[in-house]
Amino acid sequence: MLFHTWTFFIFFIVTIVVFWALRPTRFWLHWILLASAVFYGWWHPYYLLLVFYSTALDYFIVSWMERGPRLAKLGWRFSASVVVLVGAVVVGLMAPGGWGGLAAAVGFFAVVLAVGHWLCSRRAWLWVSIINNLSVLVFFKYAGFAIENLNTLLARLGAGQLPSAESLMPPGWEYVLPVGISFYTFQSMSYTIDFYRGIIAREPSFVRFAAFVTFFPQLVAGPIERAKNLLPQFSKTPRVTLADVSDGASLFLVGLFKKVVLANYLGPYVDRVYGDVATQGGAALALATFAFGWQIYFDFSGYTDMARGVARCMGFRLMLNFRNPYLAVSLADFWSRWHISLSTWFRDYVYIPLGGSRVGRIKLWRNLLITFVVSGLWHGAAWTFLIWGMLHGLGLIANRGLEQAAWWRDRCPRLAKRLVVFAFVCFAWVFFRAESLGQAVEILQRIFTTGWTDPRMPLLLLLLVVSVWVYQFVYESPLRSWLEKPPVKVGLAVVMILWMLLFAPGGGEPFIYFQF
Amino acid sequence: MTHKTGQLPINDSAAVQLSVRQWLCALGLSFGLAWLLPEAWTAFEPFEPVQHYRVPYELSEDYWLYERWLDQIPPDVISVVGDSVVWGEYTAHDGTLSRFLGDATGMPFANAGINGLYPLALWGLVEHHGSALAKRRVLLHCNLLWMSDPEADMQLAKEQVFNHPALVPQFAPRIPCYRGDIDMRLARALERRLEPLSWVRHLQQTYFSQKSAPEWTLADDGKFPPAYPNTYRLPVGIPLSSELPSVKRGLSSERHKPWSANQSGKANMEWVTPENSLQWLAFRRLANRLQGSGSNLLVVVGPLNEHIMNDATLEKYQVFLTAVTAWLSVEGIRFVVPEVLPSDEFADASHPLTEGYERLAKRLVADPVFKTWLAQ
Repeated sequence: MLFHTWTFFIFFIVTIVVFWALRPTRFWLHWILLASAVFYGWWHPYYLLLVFYSTALDYFIVSWMERGPRLAKLGWRFSASVVVLVGAVVVGLMAPGGWGGLAAAVGFFAVVLAVGHWLCSRRAWLWVSIINNLSVLVFFKYAGFAIENLNTLLARLGAGQLPSAESLMPPGWEYVLPVGISFYTFQSMSYTIDFYRGIIAREPSFVRFAAFVTFFPQLVAGPIERAKNLLPQFSKTPRVTLADVSDGASLFLVGLFKKVVLANYLGPYVDRVYGDVATQGGAALALATFAFGWQIYFDFSGYTDMARGVARCMGFRLMLNFRNPYLAVSLADFWSRWHISLSTWFRDYVYIPLGGSRVGRIKLWRNLLITFVVSGLWHGAAWTFLIWGMLHGLGLIANRGLEQAAWWRDRCPRLAKRLVVFAFVCFAWVFFRAESLGQAVEILQRIFTTGWTDPRMPLLLLLLVVSVWVYQFVYESPLRSWLEKPPVKVGLAVVMILWMLLFAPGGGEPFIYFQF
Repeated sequence: MTHKTGQLPINDSAAVQLSVRQWLCALGLSFGLAWLLPEAWTAFEPFEPVQHYRVPYELSEDYWLYERWLDQIPPDVISVVGDSVVWGEYTAHDGTLSRFLGDATGMPFANAGINGLYPLALWGLVEHHGSALAKRRVLLHCNLLWMSDPEADMQLAKEQVFNHPALVPQFAPRIPCYRGDIDMRLARALERRLEPLSWVRHLQQTYFSQKSAPEWTLADDGKFPPAYPNTYRLPVGIPLSSELPSVKRGLSSERHKPWSANQSGKANMEWVTPENSLQWLAFRRLANRLQGSGSNLLVVVGPLNEHIMNDATLEKYQVFLTAVTAWLSVEGIRFVVPEVLPSDEFADASHPLTEGYERLAKRLVADPVFKTWLAQ
């Protein structure tokens, strides 16, 4: 169910009316859980099994964790566990009738849980949670990519081939990437890790915890909420004021405009140019890359705005996920403005555990590179995403170096810094958007080597994007108060509503970030 | 350990954040403008229909224009409502039934048909865009060809692409061959109820090649390699008040010839039963709707090209025709079943040629039921 569809509109009206009616009772939480299940199951009912597994697992693991000591001596027991684990998978794979994949998975998860009980320490349970969650994610998201690359390598070595990921599915089951799996897996994992670190208390209610993981506004594309922000909001009856509803509606309107008017307009132009790279000139490819940068921003931040708006109408406050990222004056600044819930997740659970910034220069560079390569892979199982992540990691290292130079830090105008950062981000988007590494290289080559040809980008499209950019510039300038005057705000809202009514193309294009 | 609400920023995303009062202003202004704009547009966009006007073929799905056309028909003019038989699939705009009825009676008739319709869509057209037909004299054509086989009756489970999907019932009765998803159905159901949305469709049909304005700016010319003619161009509208000359219709058109010139054998038609027919159900609803709204209704049933039918088909057709006339009689709806036209005056199974329309008009005028109806 997509936010910008009539189906969602009806679903939301029913959900919110019943939610408001149930608020005086204790069943509002059950209602949220049910609504979330309907919302998510609308895509494919079997997705519900996975999200339920992930939720139940982390809920029970944390309750077992609470009982165990923080650390336990592992010694030989760890080695024995690994042997049994591998054995269970191998035996499972030998199951007949195409059930090998499922048998191996069941064997794997059963042994992992048994090992958790056997080792029975908080750290062991933490690893059981991480292994479980990442195994599901890796299987559905990365198995195809990994097997394809391994088979290429094995073929070169003249060895046999591994079975495809599809062949590991039970008979009659389709191998598809469950929508939003990366988002809810990370959200659920953060709960376990934060409990292990002592940042949050165990959530005693399964319904509340399940509502936290599956809360429908943010289930499929974030923001990736932290338990310490969202769970407490589910602990008490939410107070919904008129201001919440108007704020929520404002966020939803802006998000809808970003998605329906801007992202869906930019998308076909980008698809046209990137779909036929060989005949495009440099100007068209450069403009399409610029357009893609804005498309993905409007698409993703539009979704986030709508998610936050929907939650706000129900009295819940989801975290800010985007803050005008194309006004960033450095790459570090960019990552504090772009997909904030993910960048802070990686900061807290990858970068800082690796040592963060409080290490020597070489280790710092290593930490940055690892964090961004993993972040790149989080976005998708392809070399292009890995390179995209690596480019950002290298860009951050270079940016840190630049910040130490006085001419850059003190004398370079902010506008110039913003344009440099934007240009670099667009350069990296080439790898993110391209179908393959080869195509990305070809695009870059053509941008810099082919002569001028008319890019055929509609002026209306360019005008819209530039208007939004100028709006954001003004928003972050001393003139911001002018934008906050009531007539200006009302005027902008009227323009957005009328534009969507009069000019928005039909069709519910899916959101780009659903694929992650 | 107790939970603490996180203090994360929520309002710094450059979103336009309105208060309740500002929302009320914005909604009032937006919807006020949305409802005023179509009205204001009529002053900006000239529409002066030529004699024997019919909605141009290119604008067949422009229901806002259709409503505007109906609104312009003076009260004493009789509207002839129906599908492409009324509209004149093979003829020029001045070679249709309404034109010849006018000639034969000396009274004004208006062509209120639309190309590509069928009873299920015709019902939607009248229900949502035909309010101007209330309390007027309406001649409604009933084309039984739509009941001549399960495919034409839209009963087949196999998905079918058909004209005017926005006019058919979106939810009930269920049309098995219509596979629009729930969003599309809701959007279509809403569009026909809200005038601003119908007007937007008018703009798309008339100025943007049946696309939204943004899609139009991106559209290619359909050739290979593609060109993008609209990138820097301003839209140019299709003339509303008269049709563009077409080589496909009229006396000089290659298509304007008897059916037997293309097809020699007789056709076998399965026919559906009146009890199970979706199109017949829609027609009944349509006739009741018109009668209920105070229209002075006359139904003209056919004529179909019986020359094209084999004996078995003809027999089934007669059974269906009997059921139709029986129902009309029971409902107290005046009707005429004209005698079949000569074979060489039919272009296909249901559409007459120009001379066929002329003969049909004369036969209708001679019919006592028609005379009584006209005299009222």
